[in-house]
Amino acid sequence: MQTFQQDCVDLAVRKYRRGEIGRRGLLAALSALGVAPLAGGDAVAQAARQLVMVNWGGIANQGFGRFYGEPFMAANSGWTVVQDSTGPSAGRIRSMVESGRVTWDLCDSSASSSNLLGRQNLLTRVDYSIVKREDTLPVGFALEYGAAPYSFSSVLAYDSSKFPQGGPTSWADFWDLRRFPGTRLMRRDALATLDAAQMALGKDPANLYPLDIRACLRKVAELRRNAVYWNSGSESEQFLRTGEAVMGQIWHTRATVLERETNGRIKFIWPQALLQAGIFVMPRGNPGGEMAQRLLASMLANPEPQVGLLQLLGNGPTNPRAAAMVPQELRRNNPTDPENARVQVVLDGNWWGQNYQQANADFIDTITG
Amino acid sequence: MSAAGRASAGWWWLILPAFLLLVVFYIAPIVQVLAISVTEPEPGLGNYERLFTSGAVQRVILTTLRICVITTALALLLGYAIAYAITLATPQAQGWWILAVLVPLWISVLVRAFAWVTLLRRQGLVNNTLMEAGLITEPLPLVWNEFGIVVGMVHYMVPFAVLPMLASMKEIDPRLLAAARGLGASRGAVFRRVFLPLSLPGVIAAGVLVFIFSLGFYITPAILGGGKTLMVAEWIGLQILDLIRWGLGTMMATMLVVAILVTPAIFSRIVDLRRIFGTGA
Repeated sequence: MQTFQQDCVDLAVRKYRRGEIGRRGLLAALSALGVAPLAGGDAVAQAARQLVMVNWGGIANQGFGRFYGEPFMAANSGWTVVQDSTGPSAGRIRSMVESGRVTWDLCDSSASSSNLLGRQNLLTRVDYSIVKREDTLPVGFALEYGAAPYSFSSVLAYDSSKFPQGGPTSWADFWDLRRFPGTRLMRRDALATLDAAQMALGKDPANLYPLDIRACLRKVAELRRNAVYWNSGSESEQFLRTGEAVMGQIWHTRATVLERETNGRIKFIWPQALLQAGIFVMPRGNPGGEMAQRLLASMLANPEPQVGLLQLLGNGPTNPRAAAMVPQELRRNNPTDPENARVQVVLDGNWWGQNYQQANADFIDTITG
Repeated sequence: MSAAGRASAGWWWLILPAFLLLVVFYIAPIVQVLAISVTEPEPGLGNYERLFTSGAVQRVILTTLRICVITTALALLLGYAIAYAITLATPQAQGWWILAVLVPLWISVLVRAFAWVTLLRRQGLVNNTLMEAGLITEPLPLVWNEFGIVVGMVHYMVPFAVLPMLASMKEIDPRLLAAARGLGASRGAVFRRVFLPLSLPGVIAAGVLVFIFSLGFYITPAILGGGKTLMVAEWIGLQILDLIRWGLGTMMATMLVVAILVTPAIFSRIVDLRRIFGTGA
């Protein structure tokens, strides 16, 4: 299953190949995502004054960290931030910490993984005397075991040419096959999908959690015959672009690309979209110790690189000062723009951290076979 | 032991390196993986119990068997016609026929699966042609379901069906057919009562080969199934990579290995598989 972070890398490379961004832009974007690895292979954190940031990779040997790494290095002379693109899945972090040979300092993870790993005592708590809570969004972005320098969202995108009378405006419409006939598109993952199902069941988005998993799964089963499921971001884009599906729940980065490239044939809406935090975590016993906290603090505290990331790839900034710096034409596509954030629902990482494994297994059983 | 016996025992030493390699790098890891099915999440046969209690597990097995049986039947039918045509063709034409059968085999299975997607999707070639011809008004659901999987798999399997059947048909003495005709049998009767029975071992061998091959198919169902029609191989991948249910995944892998071993064992009682797969008379 492709993660959001891996998909961002795919998008960046595609832009680069089409000449929409230059090589510098690509490198900047990759390093902002923490992807561009150190020349010369795997980063090793043996050198004392070095921090290893771990990301979801895809391309090797592209350059050095620019947006997250460089501001930190400029402010902390003598320290370097190197990138490792192994892909810090919860399983890998767990086996690294349990083996007692931790080489990672800061990992691009998720709210649910941070909760899951944190409860198993595999992560260092975020020290909020170093990391500033007020540098990120108030709810769901500064967690006990991780904090988010970027955001993304699972939005409802639809093919407006199929609905001349007006498109869907809610997840209830998404489930309404009579008013909006046609194939639906969903990620083959319980996260964000069950949340949408719960809203379609009529629960108040302001008090969405805890989800009623069994009711949500029944709701998901209703659509099964009329749905296809995506694993990677490019797949989700293709299903909508080629008209295989008439509406879908996809990442806002892909929805933005679709809306632009189809000249508005594919549209997406922010209301009821699931706003998610790009949470970074620190494995317990990380070699850089407290400096990893300072690196995280720097990533949250600098709004300019966050806006740069939005311009290139669409990841939403999380620093409260960033939204005002976003150029007017990009605000529509910024998940954390106040106008957009207001109507979305913040996905509850704590609830998902406690329920993800079982709920996802049941979800897969529901949609397959 | 006789001198000849010692000599042949000596030859066995030659395959020892290959044997050790196979044990260390192939059999041992497989056994290790299969052992997980009785140790995770807790020691015991809990994972195997799911075969009888879990609807999801049963569904995936039934789906796999259904698709495999349909694929095997269709591949045999198409393959038999092709093999029959090749057998009756002139030697020069036979070369071209065989090339035409083999060329698809050399094209990547991934490429072929995506080719079927472009043909079968809602705005694909097939649906567009049918709609422009006025035969249908709404696109037919040709892909992202079992139908799409079967199309892609039959396409892949036909060469594997043709080759064993062709081998067995070529062994049929053409003079038998001529003799049957000479004794007054019609063309249909010659086919039904002489050619078909003689080619049957090849059909069974091809059937076993295609069926076993289909059981573990991964790429084609993963691409043409639209994420919801799962066959065993993809299901195992999902359990192990995404759901981290290693015990359940390896249980199914064990069942797959057992099925693959048992199928030829059953059929070897009916026909002499060694003769058909060409490991000497």
